[in-house]
Amino acid sequence: MIKTNSLTKIYGDKTALSIDQLEIPTGQSFGLVGNNGAGKTTFFSLLLDLIKASSGEIISNKIAVAISEEWKNFTSAFIDDSFLIGYLTPEEYFYFVGSLRGIDQKEIDLFLEAYADFFNDEILNQKKYLRDFSKGNQKKVGLVATFIGKPKVIILDEPFANLDPTTQIKLKQLIHKKSEDKELTLLISSHDLNHLTEVCNRIVLLEKGSVIMDKETTAKTLQELEDYFSA
Amino acid sequence: MSSSLFQLGRKKFLRAPQLEAKFTIKILMGLVILYFAGSFLFAGVVIYPALSKKFLEQDAISIINSFLVLIFAFELIIRYFLQQLPVTEIKSFLLLSIPKKRIIRNVLLRSLITIYNVIPFLLYLPISIAMFNDDYLLSQVFAWWVSLALLSLSINFITILVNKNNKVLATFVLVFIFVYVVEYYSETEILRSTGHFFDSLLAHPILVLLPASIFLGLYFITFKFLKININLEGSLVAKTGVANAERYNFLNVFGPHALFLKNDLRLIVRNIRPRNIVLASFLFLFYGLAFFPSIEYQSAFFIPFASIFITGGFLLTFGNYVPAWDSEYYPFLMCQNLSYKQYLDSKWRLMTFAVLVSTVLSIPYIYFGVDIYLMILSGAFFNIGLGTWITLYGGLLNKQPLKLNVKAKAFENTQAFSGKQFLMILPKMILPVLLYLIPAQVFNSTVGLITLASSGILGIIFKNQILNQMVKLFVKEKHQTLQAFTQK
Repeated sequence: MIKTNSLTKIYGDKTALSIDQLEIPTGQSFGLVGNNGAGKTTFFSLLLDLIKASSGEIISNKIAVAISEEWKNFTSAFIDDSFLIGYLTPEEYFYFVGSLRGIDQKEIDLFLEAYADFFNDEILNQKKYLRDFSKGNQKKVGLVATFIGKPKVIILDEPFANLDPTTQIKLKQLIHKKSEDKELTLLISSHDLNHLTEVCNRIVLLEKGSVIMDKETTAKTLQELEDYFSA
Repeated sequence: MSSSLFQLGRKKFLRAPQLEAKFTIKILMGLVILYFAGSFLFAGVVIYPALSKKFLEQDAISIINSFLVLIFAFELIIRYFLQQLPVTEIKSFLLLSIPKKRIIRNVLLRSLITIYNVIPFLLYLPISIAMFNDDYLLSQVFAWWVSLALLSLSINFITILVNKNNKVLATFVLVFIFVYVVEYYSETEILRSTGHFFDSLLAHPILVLLPASIFLGLYFITFKFLKININLEGSLVAKTGVANAERYNFLNVFGPHALFLKNDLRLIVRNIRPRNIVLASFLFLFYGLAFFPSIEYQSAFFIPFASIFITGGFLLTFGNYVPAWDSEYYPFLMCQNLSYKQYLDSKWRLMTFAVLVSTVLSIPYIYFGVDIYLMILSGAFFNIGLGTWITLYGGLLNKQPLKLNVKAKAFENTQAFSGKQFLMILPKMILPVLLYLIPAQVFNSTVGLITLASSGILGIIFKNQILNQMVKLFVKEKHQTLQAFTQK
């Protein structure tokens, strides 16, 4: 689904990211770990054409993301709170995202019903603007919005951060359910090794912009990661 | 201590993301300031002798005195819109062991060091010197000048106090305009009677104590105001209003554009900053009142100039910040499957709509003559056809993100409409004046009107082509804009 060739991003004389070759097949749940500054967000930003690569290219579903904008048809993402529109209510935000992806309000209402449990009565009909919600509840809205319109690629940066424990568990279940869909490619980054090894079937470890480890998730993966980070 | 707070201000400037642009703007601002300073100085030097010569039977100084209230009102409005509070990162200091009093004193002190406080020296000092040469006693001249300087500095504090409240300003402006109009047409003395106070200052220099106590009083009120606001910061944050659930379905008539228009409407209604700016653009409607009534201003230059402003307020205040209005969630927009063309087109429609509304609202200007309304009309054509594009162009190049819902915090400048922005407006004002003026001088004013209006009509005819160019620029600037907007 996604292929990158000799991708680098250099700021001044500092290399933020340098990945020789990376291929993410369709249907994979791809997990990204690494300490601060390892290049996780840089990688995601490149995938979303939010920043320009210093060299190399990214091909998503046969489309070069830096050249064509067609990838937007099948890609959705939640990177940080700049992906929310603070002065909208959650409903309005979902409708807005829906109409950008060609889905009308009634369908959105139906779609949202399926997430009633995840929302835990804290999101809908609150008569509040998104900017007035807590960080965790804002994140719930942003995460669910990425599922609107059946995208083929979903990119989530730190989806577990700021969520309360119950919601973290619900999110894990949700991601599990989503990844049963063999058409959906999921890219997730997290600092939480437990969560990530649970929901992803492949883990890539970044360190100072380079790939240090790239493995299918097995029973041993969590231990290996913990060993690496405590060393 | 104070000096280290000053240093932080300096570092904030030098380490800002768009330093080069800021320098250019500073230099341009410097030129503009020099121009205005020169004008004030010139006015100060010339006005007293000129008035003495012209009105032999009246005291020149008492004529000046009767106009002082207008100058002060004007000063207040100018300061309100253009003057910025010196802002250091006050919040982070609150937890350090610096006494709050010292922080506030620093802010107030720094607020005095601003270009606007030079006015007393430029404008009033030359007049004082002329008075002294004209046989006034030193004590009289001194009392007069010190009073004016103190009142001018008092306005500085009033600006700080009012800066948080647009309603106060709107009320002030409306009352002032009302009183002024009543005075103008009924030949009564209301505002001008304030001149008697300044007259009596000359008779009894001891009255200088009055402005002095006003100044000191305002200093302490401002001090208290800032102190309370520092303390309230924490408790203010928790306040959240009930969301307004208006769906704006009437906008659906715009078809595919409705989506963005609805959001823009919500943006304006639900955020403090855009709301203020749109209110400010409403004030532009009254701009003509400053020019049209007086005969000496009915010159070839000022009428087109004012006419453009009357219908172009929203363009200047809102259009200048497209797409910066969306800067808070710009990465989101750039990841969505949205048509840039539709996005920009809906912004164009919004601005066009605003011009149309102001054109209708300005119908009362017919009172000053059909000619003037025709001027406003052709100005409106220009604003729709070309003004919109010029502002959009400027907006697309603007790399300054906007915080939408900055609550009234004592230490943050809530006015996006600063002097720097004003500077970017100037070229947009000069082009239409030339478009009218040149053919009007060569042929006659009708040809001028037609030229101005048809330049706008051309812009409407070639809308599609221009829009495509705008989209190209939009795409070209995408990454730079993203980078600038996400810098916090």
